[in-house]
Amino acid sequence: MSEDAPATALRAQAIDQSFGDVDVLSGVSLSVARGEVAAIVGPNGSGKSTLLHILAGIAAPDGGSVAVPREAAGARSVGYLPQRPAFRDGFSARDTLGFYAQLLDGVDDEDVAATLDRVGLGGVADRSVGSLSGGMTRLLGLGQAVLGEPSVLILDEPGSGLDPAMVERLFGVVGDLAADGTAVVVASHELPAVETHADTVYVLDAGDFAASGSPAELLTETDTDSLSEAFLRIVRAQVGESTVRAGVGGRSSKKTAGADTAETDDTAETDADDGVETDADDSEVNGGE
Amino acid sequence: MSENDDERGSDNAGRENDSDDSGGKSDSDDGGTESSGRERVADVAEDLFVIATRELRTIVRTPALLALAAAFAVSVVGVAWAGTGGGGGFVPLTLDLLTFVEVLVPLLAVAFGYRSILGDRQTGELDVLRTFDVERLSYVGGVYLGRALALVALVVGTLLAVGLFVPFLTADIPTFLAINAAADSGVRYVRFVVLSAAFTLVVLAATVGISAATRTVRTAFALAAALALALVLGIDTALVAGLASGTIPEDGLAVLLALSPNSAFRGLVLSSAVGVVGGADVAAGNAALNALGLLAWWLGSLSIALWRVWPAVEPIEE
Repeated sequence: MSEDAPATALRAQAIDQSFGDVDVLSGVSLSVARGEVAAIVGPNGSGKSTLLHILAGIAAPDGGSVAVPREAAGARSVGYLPQRPAFRDGFSARDTLGFYAQLLDGVDDEDVAATLDRVGLGGVADRSVGSLSGGMTRLLGLGQAVLGEPSVLILDEPGSGLDPAMVERLFGVVGDLAADGTAVVVASHELPAVETHADTVYVLDAGDFAASGSPAELLTETDTDSLSEAFLRIVRAQVGESTVRAGVGGRSSKKTAGADTAETDDTAETDADDGVETDADDSEVNGGE
Repeated sequence: MSENDDERGSDNAGRENDSDDSGGKSDSDDGGTESSGRERVADVAEDLFVIATRELRTIVRTPALLALAAAFAVSVVGVAWAGTGGGGGFVPLTLDLLTFVEVLVPLLAVAFGYRSILGDRQTGELDVLRTFDVERLSYVGGVYLGRALALVALVVGTLLAVGLFVPFLTADIPTFLAINAAADSGVRYVRFVVLSAAFTLVVLAATVGISAATRTVRTAFALAAALALALVLGIDTALVAGLASGTIPEDGLAVLLALSPNSAFRGLVLSSAVGVVGGADVAAGNAALNALGLLAWWLGSLSIALWRVWPAVEPIEE
């Protein structure tokens, strides 16, 4: 990362997003500095993936703006790890990253090999992606996201489905990237890892950030001993209670576990994550959580 | 860092760029200059070929597509061998293969094309690719080019190979008759092969368009199958029914034939690769209209693919 790069790596202002008559995000703003790890946590369906799509420049918000200052270094601006990364069968891990490397200026086979080593896949570089475990596929997705040294890294549930050791390894890689000056925005339910590795935690609920601050600040504000407890306090839930959200206003529609189908008609084709996916026009948002 | 600590700047920050796509890779702020325009074109072309290469490699590594390709090749060889064509000359061979190509090429195009873009959408790679500043033209063009190279190579290669049967299987030409060499020549057969390649490109474009416009495998398959059925049977059947009932006037037939890729292809083959059957010219519609019809299908399909592949999002880099 260049020394003269601007301090703010990502700035989002007043982001609004709706799907049909469901408001998912309402006036969301955040700013992430170089080297900062910003974690976005929130109940299922609170709009985390939708927000990350917008921050990555993949989806256009209904209102507001996202800006990533141009960096002097790096072959791309934003790296993105989707919630369920998947790659074409029949290609090895090396082939897969090699393909993406060809789309970037100045990234070559040596960078691909170094990236595979960095994410811990150097030993299986020539194995077909179809034979990789779910965790390895996620690490390959992380490798794709960091290729070209983007100034901003956006990770959607990178630890989902990984064992605790893999989660720690993954967040360790994220921490290393941040130490090198990369701004990281990560949506995650692994609250212990978030508590350890995040500089700033944003709790997304009811369309906006219900709280934000360093993990220590959130613990102090909520008078709790762990981020998990603080999270429950902030989203006003009890342990064992469903926290599925269905857009703004979902906070009032908490249901008990086992009766938590808080989806709208528009969610027919989604796997439910952030709750809302329309097939209409261009407003598709990938679900899954 | 507070979430609201930065109120400065326009609320349209990051939207200054007029491009409706993902930006491109040029570092120049002056997108209107000639040099940056050339750089952009070079970037688009470079990405297009990278993606086309991946498509080709995907096809080579997909056993189901290889099996279909082999089945097509064996079937064409079988028709040429068993029919009258291979032993009767180039024009009889063309007539033997014409219907076969009309039916099988749309089916092959469906197999090669209907998941081409949808597959990347479903794995999430479409979203990922957009963070690599890949433009829509590069992506759709690359997918189409890669698949088209494979499919056209299969169709053209197979047809040319069976064309080689003719000199070997055709009985010796009697020397006591005057023969019009132009009536049955390799040139006519090459015309048929070239037109078959064009027909292949058109129906593949249509299936790639469907792949870009749909969001589920079920929808894509249903639409692609419906397209193939309409091309092979539906449109012609409707035309015949319309003519028989008098709904379609006979003088408008040439235009209507040009509207269907199959009819347009058939018309072009009959007029330029067959020409005369039984001493009479073949009624094959208007050649120019037929060519225009195929071109319209090709352009329209690829335009739909470009339009629908992903939404326009303003570049976020400022």
